[in-house]
Amino acid sequence: MSDMTIPVDDLHRNVPPYHHNPSAWSQRIPICLLAFVAALISMHLSLYQWGFIESSYDPVFGDSSNKVLKSDTAKTMYGILGIHDAALGVLAYLGDAIFGFAGSTRRWQYRPWLVILFGIDVIPLGIVSVVLVGFQAFVVGQWCFLCLVTATISLILVYWAWDEVRVSLAYLRIVWKEHHDKRLLWDAIWGNRNERLDASGEQLLLREVT
Amino acid sequence: MWGRVVEIMTAVWLAASPFVFGLQSDMTLLWADIGIALLICVLSGLSYWRPTRHAHLLILVVSIALILWGRFAIMPPTPLHQNHIVIGLFLLMIAVVPNQASLPPKAWRKVLRCD
Repeated sequence: MSDMTIPVDDLHRNVPPYHHNPSAWSQRIPICLLAFVAALISMHLSLYQWGFIESSYDPVFGDSSNKVLKSDTAKTMYGILGIHDAALGVLAYLGDAIFGFAGSTRRWQYRPWLVILFGIDVIPLGIVSVVLVGFQAFVVGQWCFLCLVTATISLILVYWAWDEVRVSLAYLRIVWKEHHDKRLLWDAIWGNRNERLDASGEQLLLREVT
Repeated sequence: MWGRVVEIMTAVWLAASPFVFGLQSDMTLLWADIGIALLICVLSGLSYWRPTRHAHLLILVVSIALILWGRFAIMPPTPLHQNHIVIGLFLLMIAVVPNQASLPPKAWRKVLRCD
């Protein structure tokens, strides 16, 4: 292992091509908060699907939301999953918040596996939300206001999370391009440390963007 | 160690679940839930001790077992079994959160210097 020391301020360095640090708390806390709001909304929808409340909130489409939440498509998903789709949404949004909150302000280099896991949770969730909106429009033929709100939140989360995932993947790409060493790439993913990984991280931080 | 705290809180909910769902008279379910909750607490607790600091990762196995039990024990799953699925999925995410998750990993932490 390298004996080199790193100034603690390095934890907060901006990462090109961005003029900010994508792993900074100022970048991640809003993601966690918005994901938590979406989890609360999904909780409301799942309470209706479970039958704990008589109706879901919908100031725009009226009873349409209830029809979507109790539609044949929702029942089919319930049959497959064993739990209601809104409950799965709650877990997925909580996952966004959990994976967004875990890790230091340089986790793009120190814990790439966590950033990748975060990306795997956020990005497919956005895609699933869009697919579910498509189901509302083309299969059920009804609209659910809060489902549209959570779908919009999902897409915002994808937009906000993308920079960090991109930087982490760029770091791993540099590690692979420079060394073509599977063992080193493995170490990089799991956040093990050595001189070559220090150098790869520094190369990413110093790169010039055209 | 917030991940471990959340695991223990979730285990408390699991232990209380048979009472919440009014199924405390079913001794098999009651003791299964209490036993699994205790196992989760032990694994989380062991993660505070340095030699067994990775014990929380074994909760992943418990989570998968909970999901499979909840999903396939009775078709369609009863509310209590749905609770097992939800808890299993939640723990699956929490259990991978490292100890001292907000700090850099130890290997990087010891080379950081305050100028």
